Amino acid sequence: MFRMLGRQLTKKQNQLETTEDTHGFPIEIFSDIEKNINNIRKILESPSDLTTRIFTIGNTEHRCAIVCIDGLVDSRLVNDKIIKNIQLGITSSKKSVPSSAEDILTELENGVLSSGEIKKANTLDDVMLAVLSGDTALFIQGTDQVILIGSKGWATRSVDEPNTEALVRGPRDGFTENLRTNTTHIRRHIRDPNLRFETFTVGRRSKKDLVLTYIDGIANPDMVGEVKRRIKTIDLDDVPESGFIEQWIEDSFLSPFPTLSPTERPDKVSAAITQGKVGILLDGTPFALIAPITFGNLLQSPEDYYERWWVGTFLRVLRYLGAFLAVFLPGLYISLVSYHPGMIPSKLAFSIAAAREGVPFPAVIEALLMITVLELLREAGIRLPKPIGQTIGIVGGLVIGEAAVSAGIVSPVMVIVVALTAICSFAVPSYSLAITFRILIYGMMFLAAGFGLFGLILGYIMINIHMVNLKSFGIPYSTPFAPSFYADWKDLIIRAPIMMLGKRPIMMQVDDEERMRKGGKS
Amino acid sequence: MKSFEYGDGEIGSREILYAVSSVVIGVGIFTLPRTVGSATMGSDGWVSILLGGLVALLFAWIVAKLASRFPRQTFLEYTATLVSRPVAIVLTLLLAIHLMQFTAYEMRVVANISKIYLFDRTPVEVIGLLFLLVVVYAVANSSVGLLRLNLLFLPIVLFAAILLLLMNIGYFEPENLKPVFSTKWTGYIQGAKETVFAFLGFEILLIYIAMANQPEKVPKAAVIGMSIPILLYSFVFIMVVGVFGRTAMIQLVDPTIEIAKEVEVPGQFFERFESLFFTIWIMTIFNTASLSFGASVIAIRSVFPKIKRIWLVFILTPIIYLSGMAPPNLIRNFEVGTWIGYSGVVFAMLIPAILLGIAKVRGIKGNA
Repeated sequence: MFRMLGRQLTKKQNQLETTEDTHGFPIEIFSDIEKNINNIRKILESPSDLTTRIFTIGNTEHRCAIVCIDGLVDSRLVNDKIIKNIQLGITSSKKSVPSSAEDILTELENGVLSSGEIKKANTLDDVMLAVLSGDTALFIQGTDQVILIGSKGWATRSVDEPNTEALVRGPRDGFTENLRTNTTHIRRHIRDPNLRFETFTVGRRSKKDLVLTYIDGIANPDMVGEVKRRIKTIDLDDVPESGFIEQWIEDSFLSPFPTLSPTERPDKVSAAITQGKVGILLDGTPFALIAPITFGNLLQSPEDYYERWWVGTFLRVLRYLGAFLAVFLPGLYISLVSYHPGMIPSKLAFSIAAAREGVPFPAVIEALLMITVLELLREAGIRLPKPIGQTIGIVGGLVIGEAAVSAGIVSPVMVIVVALTAICSFAVPSYSLAITFRILIYGMMFLAAGFGLFGLILGYIMINIHMVNLKSFGIPYSTPFAPSFYADWKDLIIRAPIMMLGKRPIMMQVDDEERMRKGGKS
Repeated sequence: MKSFEYGDGEIGSREILYAVSSVVIGVGIFTLPRTVGSATMGSDGWVSILLGGLVALLFAWIVAKLASRFPRQTFLEYTATLVSRPVAIVLTLLLAIHLMQFTAYEMRVVANISKIYLFDRTPVEVIGLLFLLVVVYAVANSSVGLLRLNLLFLPIVLFAAILLLLMNIGYFEPENLKPVFSTKWTGYIQGAKETVFAFLGFEILLIYIAMANQPEKVPKAAVIGMSIPILLYSFVFIMVVGVFGRTAMIQLVDPTIEIAKEVEVPGQFFERFESLFFTIWIMTIFNTASLSFGASVIAIRSVFPKIKRIWLVFILTPIIYLSGMAPPNLIRNFEVGTWIGYSGVVFAMLIPAILLGIAKVRGIKGNA
């Protein structure tokens, strides 16, 4: 394998007629267009989607060539706006036809090419990167300058409603795989001249664009600096999804809790950056990242703000309850049934005991069994084609549950507990937090099985210890509970009326604290 | 990295306030009605509690005043400037040992009571070990984290306590409070002495105030933090007397948990409130244990700065565990508790008062 690679390299070295960089790729651009095109062909080994075309400029003697990748470029733009204009443009202008290659280049750049995005390059490396990202390169005989024309235009998914974060009320648009569309979404939400899009290139091979977005003058500059520093350390071959970024720059890879929040919703990212956070968008994925985040943020949903504050508050309280039950409910059931049956009201205790009559397993085995089945169902449900997915929900949830109960493997109370836990974990708006909870459930079940309520409270304490020590880009995860910022509590478990949320969160230590004037415009 | 000012190793005065309350509210409340009730007549114990509370309040203020006089200086550093370095080293190490013993005692009491009220088959040694391991997990992480946990747990604990008081109102019989003011003054003093033991623990401030970013606000925070347990304990005492009457109360080992037993949750949502109450109370006992363990780790590291925090924690853990499990039975453990109370008086009251006196007389101040 290595020998083969080596042989290919030597082959290339023999054929290419130029100086080379360390990878064995030529770096120089010649004034002879055919040589250049041959070089490009050889580097890429003449793939079928490489389009090269040599033609003469207008009615002059000069020849030029365009190079682009079919499929990455908007072919109508290349034909109508580039080739056609070059062929006709110089002739139609009434000025005298320039004679030197440099003059033609300037003339083309200034007068002929009707494209908004034009750059010049003079190394083959730059040209290759541009061509491979969907630009069109224009070589002109007699000069080693290359014009790069922005012509990106490939098939993309249209803007859809985000699947994983559907809302009853709120904007229906979601991010797509196209980075430009995504930045446009944010620009359309925030027309602030201080909105910043900083571009980084990540991936040794994939060379993907990554955009860091924040509002200059709101976001804490130290925090932004830290995010940039961490992004710059990314050294991966390929970055297929923002999850790679998340895992590379997160604070603790040991923690089960997410310290960056992925989202498909532009309104969520916009709201976050107006609070002094930063957004990270990656080309090729609809999932943007928000950082830094705290535990409280993960239990918030954009809808809390879109509905009236009573509704928002009610939903928040409900979600905190749901989050608690999603982690502790099976553990509570196990500890009550196995250790403290006295705590259950006697009538209920009798009916639980009657229902458990004939169940061969202790409560903990029963719970582990059912929770694992539930997890399997969820995992299977994702894989299955959509029409079948619903069927499996019914088959799995109803049929297996019912059959397991009547077969006497589990008690009906256990089925209720597991179903409630599942419902509660779906009430958590952040999918990544919900997954964390699904892992923690197991820990809590084992603690409850071993030590009852004592084990559970120790589990609760341990989760809290972990959260006060975990940080997301310098912010303790448990902020604003501890360290406590009571002013931020207005937008934590309760969601105070919009008029009362006049200050940006204190915990973000923003530059511009005022969000609005008390009492509105006078 | 240090992006946010509050993300680093500093604490505000609010953390101090919560820490004082959390460290003082601990296992003392379970037995307090019995010990105070035995010394006083009728319902007069509350006078003793307030009296003892005032003493504790005064000394908490002295401790805070002393430590905040030397901003950002460790106990070792300012003691060294006051009473020479060798003496300071001895004092620091003794304080560390006292705090370790305190941790061990808390662990043992948790294990004992859990065995009584939560499960009877699991051995005390296992329960204690599990509790200690969770404390170790907290202490092995940052000190700031320890102080922040108070902010998370104390509100829940106070809520449970208020719930306990409210739900017992139905069983409260004013008859039980009589006779009033029939105790001799020696009885009040005796009761107050018992109370002072229950209010100890604020000596951890000697260590933690070094982390405070606004030392001038600390004395006020310490006083407010101290008054929360004083008020709580007084109310609990009155409620326990009102429910059981003095005669029954002094026969019960843990009267405060026993009144939780009396509670009937409205709607019979669940029964045996005392199990739930004690479970929640474990949070504040955890805070007490972890704060004092953490303080002893900081104290020892100020003398031996080369030992890594995590190694020190691992070295101290077996010592704490063994000394906590050493007393063979409940009675002996209460004796140990009394001795820890005495050493607490020395470290929380005597030494800080002397040190503050020296500092005042010689006019020594830390460079703020």
